[in-house]
Amino acid sequence: MAIDEIVDGLSEVSCDVLVIGGGTAGPMAALKAKLKNPKANVVLLEKANVKRSGAISMGMDGLNNAVIPGYATPEQYTKEITIANDGIVDQRAVYKYAENCYKIIEELDGFGIRFLKNENGDYAVKKVHHIGTYVLPMPNGETVKKALYRQLRRARILISNRYMATRLLTASDGRVAGAISVNTRTAEMLVIKAKAVILCMGAAGRLGLPTSGYMFGTYENAANSGDGYAMAYHAGAKLANLECFQINPLIKDYNGPACAYVAGPFGAYTANNEGKRFIECDYWSGQMMLEFYNELSSGKGPVFLQLKHLHEKTIEEIESTLHKVERPTRGLFQQGRGVDYRHESIEMHISEIGFCSGHSASGVFVDDFARTTVPGLYAAGDMASVPHNYMLGAFTNGSVAGIDAMEFADNHDFAQFDAADVAAERDRVMAPTKREDGIPPNQIEYKTRRLVNDYLQPPKVTRKYELGARRLAEVRQDAKERMIARNAHELLRALEAQSILDCADMAVHASLFREESRWGLYHLRTDFPEKDNENWFCHTLLGKQDGKMVSEKREVEPYIVPIAEEEKDLYDKQRIAVGA
Amino acid sequence: MPLATYQTSVPVVVDDAKCIADKGCTVCVDVCPLDVLRISDMTGKAYMAYDECWYCMPCEADCPTGAVTVNIPYLLR
Amino acid sequence: MASPFESYDDLEDADERLQAADPAERRVAIIALGHSGDPAAIGHLARMVDDPDAGVRQQVAMALGEFDGPEAAAALVKLLVDPERIVAAAAADSLAEFKDPASADVILPLVKHSHAFVRMGALRALKELRRKDTLKPALEALQDGDAAVRVQAIGVIGFLKLEESIPALTSLINDPDAHVRRAAVSALAFSHMKPAAETITRALKDEDWMVREMAAETLGLNVNGAVAADQLIASLDDAFWQVRLKAVRSLGKMKIERAVRPIGNCVTHEQANLRKEAAAALGEIAGADGEPFLVMIANDPDPDVRKNARWAQHQIAAKKAKAGA
Ligand SMILES: Cc1cc2nc3c(=O)[nH]c(=O)nc-3n(C[C@H](O)[C@H](O)[C@H](O)COP(=O)(O)OP(=O)(O)OC[C@H]3O[C@@H](n4cnc5c(N)ncnc54)[C@H](O)[C@@H]3O)c2cc1C
Ligand code: SF4
Ligand code: SF4
Repeated sequence: MAIDEIVDGLSEVSCDVLVIGGGTAGPMAALKAKLKNPKANVVLLEKANVKRSGAISMGMDGLNNAVIPGYATPEQYTKEITIANDGIVDQRAVYKYAENCYKIIEELDGFGIRFLKNENGDYAVKKVHHIGTYVLPMPNGETVKKALYRQLRRARILISNRYMATRLLTASDGRVAGAISVNTRTAEMLVIKAKAVILCMGAAGRLGLPTSGYMFGTYENAANSGDGYAMAYHAGAKLANLECFQINPLIKDYNGPACAYVAGPFGAYTANNEGKRFIECDYWSGQMMLEFYNELSSGKGPVFLQLKHLHEKTIEEIESTLHKVERPTRGLFQQGRGVDYRHESIEMHISEIGFCSGHSASGVFVDDFARTTVPGLYAAGDMASVPHNYMLGAFTNGSVAGIDAMEFADNHDFAQFDAADVAAERDRVMAPTKREDGIPPNQIEYKTRRLVNDYLQPPKVTRKYELGARRLAEVRQDAKERMIARNAHELLRALEAQSILDCADMAVHASLFREESRWGLYHLRTDFPEKDNENWFCHTLLGKQDGKMVSEKREVEPYIVPIAEEEKDLYDKQRIAVGA
Repeated sequence: MPLATYQTSVPVVVDDAKCIADKGCTVCVDVCPLDVLRISDMTGKAYMAYDECWYCMPCEADCPTGAVTVNIPYLLR
Repeated sequence: MASPFESYDDLEDADERLQAADPAERRVAIIALGHSGDPAAIGHLARMVDDPDAGVRQQVAMALGEFDGPEAAAALVKLLVDPERIVAAAAADSLAEFKDPASADVILPLVKHSHAFVRMGALRALKELRRKDTLKPALEALQDGDAAVRVQAIGVIGFLKLEESIPALTSLINDPDAHVRRAAVSALAFSHMKPAAETITRALKDEDWMVREMAAETLGLNVNGAVAADQLIASLDDAFWQVRLKAVRSLGKMKIERAVRPIGNCVTHEQANLRKEAAAALGEIAGADGEPFLVMIANDPDPDVRKNARWAQHQIAAKKAKAGA
């Protein structure tokens, strides 16, 4: 049999709660749903293999945002996140996360996941930020997925690996009814009917093209091609603040952070070519990225992570984490270049663009119960709109989603979908396999992402966006009419390429809608360089209406943790002017 | 338009002498998030079938016999 | 079409597969058992601990790590004493993930094993189990000739947080090994008894900078840390900026008002990290006499220092306003 040969076929299964994406939020959502109602059927559908999928495939350097009693309070955390997001935050979800996350840490600890502890067995929380103390390192973090997987097996979750979800099914009243997926090795299709569905498909990480030109060298796990964003959109869910792109500071050419969060607590810092710190902003945010960008494009770049001032023993300790966990090829990369942290600083650069609420605020709109605007449909983790959630947020909100979704499933019967929707989706999915000749998915994808870099990467220029949109439409036409997939694996990439195109279109639409600049580099519009609180102190929601993309404003919910003017002022002084 | 094959030097290498895929092992193929490893019909050993690697390492870390080596893809080395 | 779900029947032909002549095939079968997550697999795995092939035994040690509790621990204990280091190391790693206190029964006897690696592995596993009856053997292990074993024993004792262990931990302050002294200092953090704080204070004068650093940090965590205020102030002159930094932070955290001036003198240190923490500490204490120092660094070349200085001035102003109101 030829490799990944296409098998035509379609079958159907049903369950109470369907979780799509088994990375970080997904396993937790599935587990909590099942524990809430052990008699119910919970399916966890994953494009890769739950054992090693998602951003935390090889673990994480640590928790970026642990709110641990004695070190930080939910009030303070909520304030910091509000300010880091220029005030555009529905605080309730952030506050709820902050209140619940400690319980989740304890639970993860009980699963056998290892956090840094002092000799009294207490969490050794580190101070990296300006005021609060939030960072909890995980020097043995590479076992995270193993520990999670073990819990899933114990709870007897139904795990479907190597199925890529492609579209959601909805009933005529708009309620979610299930999802359609395709096997990534045989192209067989699977329809899963479900009473409630939780989307945990991670960031849209394959939107921009890394400067190395290697398509899979993205910051995000490259399996996260934005399918979740595309599916939510096509199902009629609203997506929030997509113009608030994700851009990260990374090791130049390498897609891992050198992480200020790992090395920071030991005294390392980001510096310019003069060896001086230049970052005013405290939180990993658009503002920080603007400072980074400015420094890079001024004569003071390149930018480095400075370690040489640290003691030999400290550097050893940093290396043991940086080279073992999260992105273990970091060590290999530095070795290949002959970089020794003892004598040389690490050259840093900024990443390609993407959508990700985990690091910024762009995601499927959810409330504090992880509910989207589609009844029965939930979202958690990097693709849901709760800002700056990171790994612990994915776990915590995954848990919230799992519990609430099971409650929904307990109180509802299956919604009915139209069989014609399944047939139409089958045609769309299989179309590239029906052609004898055409353009391979890698070319469609490369071109899309090259255009994203050329036209959409901030600073955002209206004219460039208009041109970019036109070019992207041409690629879309090609994808629709000429893309070819000769085996199941190529079909997977062909489907991903379509999600990437959808995300690119959403990036254009959302960016043009917000006529101001906000969130530092993330939404820096040269035609509207100022922040305009009068007209734009609001969320933007993007959705699909009569088959067309539309955007609207949505008010920011009243704050539950008020922020005094003087506090805002204090932070504002950390800010630098655009283009300074 | 006819298709042509594009040459690429793949980052992940498997030591055939150590690989026990022919005894039923599929660990690396199972865990890869990008699904780019396969077992060869010809040699019965694992190999990188598609150059679409995130150089994340589960294949190397989880291989029971230490047969897998992950290298940094040439373009960013 | 085959079932789209992962199978839960991995155990079906396990026994047969575990008897395969080829060790590679046995290995593959063991991987499947570990992956099953089914507690019934423990029995199958336990029968494989004497396999003639070291690679197979290593795989068994890893697979058992997917479970928890006395039965799996009993099998791992046998692998921990395996003559092959790769097997023993895998067993030690697996045991360290256990959480079920009942596992301690089978692990405890190994604390007295003739090999240091085994003693270390056993103590490391006992730490997270936090069982009171592990205190006595751990206290005895403090006399171990191997420093790495003593460090693990400190962990077991420290995790239990029992005041009765303070004298033993205190005696380690003179241990010849710096890692042991550092761990002992950290383990004293929890104690509410004055002698613990006094011992940590003495460690501020240790010959090893990392022990001094740990002492300076730990005083900030200890309830009686303030008894060492003067010694911490003296540590602001330590030869290592890393030690000064922790002293600054602890003094700030404890809001020691008489430390303002000595901390203030750190704001001109060449190491920006120290200047930054000094500014933050002045803000935490919020004494008015900190202001002149903050003015000095209002235009510091380092933005983090300036930022903390601004925040600190704000804290001082707020405190003044409150006192005035
Ligand atoms: C390199 C890196 C370093 C980081 N460092 C830290 C850190 O140190 N600390 C911290 O707190 N956070 C860190 N983060 C952030 C944190 O890892 C993420 O916020 C979090 O893991 C996101 O979880 P998630 O469940 O939303 O997404 P993921 O864990 O990425 O899971 C998404 C899953 O969905 C699957 N999927 C995608 N599309 C489909 C589809 N169509 N059908 C089925 N399945 C699909 C994917 O295969 C994947 O398994 C880091 C992230 C990265 C990328
Ligand atoms: S994991 Fe190792 S032994 Fe198993 S198939 Fe892959 S290379 Fe071969
Ligand atoms: S490094 Fe990661 S993406 Fe590359 S082959 Fe191994 S598991 Fe797959």
